[in-house]
Amino acid sequence: MPATVAPAKMADRSVGERLLAALTEAVGEENLLSRRDELIVYECDGYVIEKNVPDVVVFPTSREQLIAVVKVCHEAKVPFVPRGAGTSLAGGTLAVGGGVMISLTRMKRILEINIRDRYAVVEPGVVNVWLTRALAGTGFHYAPDPSSQGACTLGGNVATNSGGPHTLKYGVTVNHVRGLELVLPDGSTVETGGIAEDAPGYDLTGLIVGHEGTFGIVSKIIVNLARDPEAGRTFLGVFDSVDDATATVSGIIAAGIVPAALEMLDNLMIRAIEEAFGFGFPTEAGAVLIIEIDGLEAGLDPDSHAIAEIVRSNGGEVRKSIAWRTRKEPEYVAIWKSRKSAFGAIGRLSPTFCTQDGVVPRTKLPQILRFIMAVGERHGLRIANVFHAGDGNIHPILLFDERDPEQVRRVLIASHEILDECINLGGSVTGEHGIGVEKMEFMPKLFSPEDLAAMVAIRNTFNPDGRCSPSKMLPMGGGCIEKKNPGHHASA
Amino acid sequence: MNWPDPSESYTTLGDGRVATAVECPNTLDALQDAVRRRVAEGLAIYAQGGRTSLDYGGTPLRPGVAVDMTALNRVIDYPAADMTITVESGITLGEIARTLDAEGQRLEIDAPQPDHATIGGVYATNSTGPRRYGSGRPRDQIIGVGFVTADGNVVKGGGRVVKNVAGYDFPKLLTGSLGTLGIISHLTLKVKPKPETSAIVCVGYDSIDVVAHDLARLNTSSTRPVAIELLNVPAAKRTLTEANRSLWTIVLAFEDNAASVAWQIDRIAVELSGTVQSVVQGQAIEPIRVALRDLPTANFGSVSIVANVRYSDVPVLAATVDPGLWTFQSHAGNGVIRLHSLVDDSATIEADVHRLRSSVEPSGGNLIVARCPADRKPSVGVWGSSRPDWVWSEKVKAALDPSGVMNPGRFVGKI
Ligand SMILES: Cc1cc2nc3c(=O)[nH]c(=O)nc-3n(C[C@H](O)[C@H](O)[C@H](O)COP(=O)(O)OP(=O)(O)OC[C@H]3O[C@@H](n4cnc5c(N)ncnc54)[C@H](O)[C@@H]3O)c2cc1C
Repeated sequence: MPATVAPAKMADRSVGERLLAALTEAVGEENLLSRRDELIVYECDGYVIEKNVPDVVVFPTSREQLIAVVKVCHEAKVPFVPRGAGTSLAGGTLAVGGGVMISLTRMKRILEINIRDRYAVVEPGVVNVWLTRALAGTGFHYAPDPSSQGACTLGGNVATNSGGPHTLKYGVTVNHVRGLELVLPDGSTVETGGIAEDAPGYDLTGLIVGHEGTFGIVSKIIVNLARDPEAGRTFLGVFDSVDDATATVSGIIAAGIVPAALEMLDNLMIRAIEEAFGFGFPTEAGAVLIIEIDGLEAGLDPDSHAIAEIVRSNGGEVRKSIAWRTRKEPEYVAIWKSRKSAFGAIGRLSPTFCTQDGVVPRTKLPQILRFIMAVGERHGLRIANVFHAGDGNIHPILLFDERDPEQVRRVLIASHEILDECINLGGSVTGEHGIGVEKMEFMPKLFSPEDLAAMVAIRNTFNPDGRCSPSKMLPMGGGCIEKKNPGHHASA
Repeated sequence: MNWPDPSESYTTLGDGRVATAVECPNTLDALQDAVRRRVAEGLAIYAQGGRTSLDYGGTPLRPGVAVDMTALNRVIDYPAADMTITVESGITLGEIARTLDAEGQRLEIDAPQPDHATIGGVYATNSTGPRRYGSGRPRDQIIGVGFVTADGNVVKGGGRVVKNVAGYDFPKLLTGSLGTLGIISHLTLKVKPKPETSAIVCVGYDSIDVVAHDLARLNTSSTRPVAIELLNVPAAKRTLTEANRSLWTIVLAFEDNAASVAWQIDRIAVELSGTVQSVVQGQAIEPIRVALRDLPTANFGSVSIVANVRYSDVPVLAATVDPGLWTFQSHAGNGVIRLHSLVDDSATIEADVHRLRSSVEPSGGNLIVARCPADRKPSVGVWGSSRPDWVWSEKVKAALDPSGVMNPGRFVGKI
């Protein structure tokens, strides 16, 4: 197995007339951008540290157009990169080396919804929340709910194996995808999985979910539909300290309760959200937990009482308790809107911020949060925390002023220290945002040369010339791009 | 190299083929060393766990060694409060269950024969039971894997935390790979708290149309069963008490706290059109639960098949299954149908396999022959018609096992 591969052959920086003509023929003039002032929007995604303008952006409106575009790129030997809504926080859509960006946002049809057989078939550009809306009233929903669900596409979710607050109980994207169609980098296609379960052969669907665009382009997805819960309770637990809140998280899990969601916000985050939304979070609290359980109304009381008791025994107080029958009730909507808009609120605290994504075993939350606090003090940085506590998936947000190069340098060092500590504690450097271009240098810290060689062998099987999403996820020979500026970015 | 004479070796590889030698490593190093040595000798590698499913898959293609994994049977790490467990692959499901039970937790996988089946074997064969309706499949519980490839290296994917998107999802790729990519050496799995109580409700039917109606009703029921099993008379005879002898029986399992389970038992009787024949609760459900769990690998008759269809097609297919020829058990909420033959007339059985397969494949379903006499395998076709993604399975196989020494001949296509 080769440990490294030669970097993809890059096309001429300027896209040749012939290529442009062929792409125009494939998608039509109205579905192509090639003027520099139009292309600038596509120089980066939610990860703004590294930027590069693609040579051309195409917007295929159908599977056939998509295949035609990929064939043109293949024949011209130019690199190309798929892009959904561009909310990636790891630079997954960066057009490294230029080339063709293939935006899937005009392949946006929901092709089929079948309630009896509990699936939906969608094109990759369908926005996550559109499917939720299309299912309203059926008693079913699509479970993975990233905080960015109002914008991100299901194709992007599949590529990054997205999670969200409710994945604690219901699982992440890979647990809800039954099958898909992949357009390979040579323009051929393959359908994996299907509507019936357990198709003989390897679980290629499971392998392709989370490939971050390095195998090809997902052109169709069969997703699983989940039953809506009959009822639920959402609690706002208020604590004097982060330690009390993390002890409560451990206490709830240890009591044998599997909440539907268990999210934590620290004081800095609470104040930012209060200022922005005025939901009624107590600004003096050291931390709050949003604790949600769901299930049958008949069975919710015992867990509700147990949770209230665990909160109290850790010195906290249940400040709000929302009993709901649908996820449309105003108080329910308000609390989750506040949580899911947390990153918008951060802008009020600081002009620039950098969101990290790391994971620790959930019992190690107290350690990692104390570590983050110490890192902040040591480097003189303010760090806010809002995260999926039940999964041990942290999102420290480092605030800084990008005009001060000294602060920028400290933010980068602090981020790396936090991610290294996640590895030390037995965790991972990404729970949901992916490796992209941002975290490639951490892969050799998480995986052995043998592990990486096997991953490279699999990548080369699907993407032998490395032309689809070059220089992503797996370190290639030649090292990484040096990071100079952590920039703005938001997250879960 | 030739196959040894069956009289000279006690260790079968399945389908009447016997092993040239047996390796029984008890450390990871010993496993790596065994694979390296034996591959260098030109032998193929056939991993074995609890030996509950050795005849599963195609016939072993080339002479080779059996690698008995049952001595690699340790719990590596069980941080109960993190709700994960990391184990060596030769540990049995039963042993894992006992470890977890001490903390009031369990693995959601209810595969057959837990006291024999190793977790590595369960993952290699993607073995599941009735509870997959409520708790998902093995792929939904695995978060990390290590496997030894043909060159003796250990390759890992995933990790020990419940959420992790670093690198490709080897845990999913290895699930159901039948030992053809490497030998699974260790796994990290999610575990759950045990429910407070459980109940089983048996509902009888004299017409498959009413069964179809009630299965559709269950899809939107206000209750939340964790298992929906459909049985014909011969299957019910082997799993249920005398009282349940309707033409068809739906068996529902509920698990939750006592208040919720009690409410669901009351409620389901109102919702369904069939006749509730029995309701059992608590410890009393064990004989039925165990019988339904173990029926998939019950070795009676000479042929066992598994079909996967759209959920709504379960009663459609059920209507065409002759209870004189087959026991019929379906995890009906998942579209899984398991049949065991009841007669010895192999021509009739084989013809019926082909009939069933041609009725499920055109609508996207599949049908595999999980067990049959080795000499019938070529004509009956173990894995069914070739699927368009098998060429990609073959390419993935070539990437991780280029010389084709891991479990050759057993899996789909040329794998
Ligand atoms: C405010 C905010 C909150 C967020 N919250 C969460 C959260 O809670 N959970 C979470 O998991 N993530 C979260 N994210 C990250 C991001 O939204 C997800 O990674 C999302 O899945 C990306 O979808 P997208 O359509 O924007 O994809 P893009 O950003 O356009 O692309 C992401 C990656 O997928 C590839 N890709 C896109 N489409 C395809 C396709 N059809 N075929 C193959 N590859 C493709 C791209 O090349 C890229 O590598 C958040 C981001 C923001 C900005």
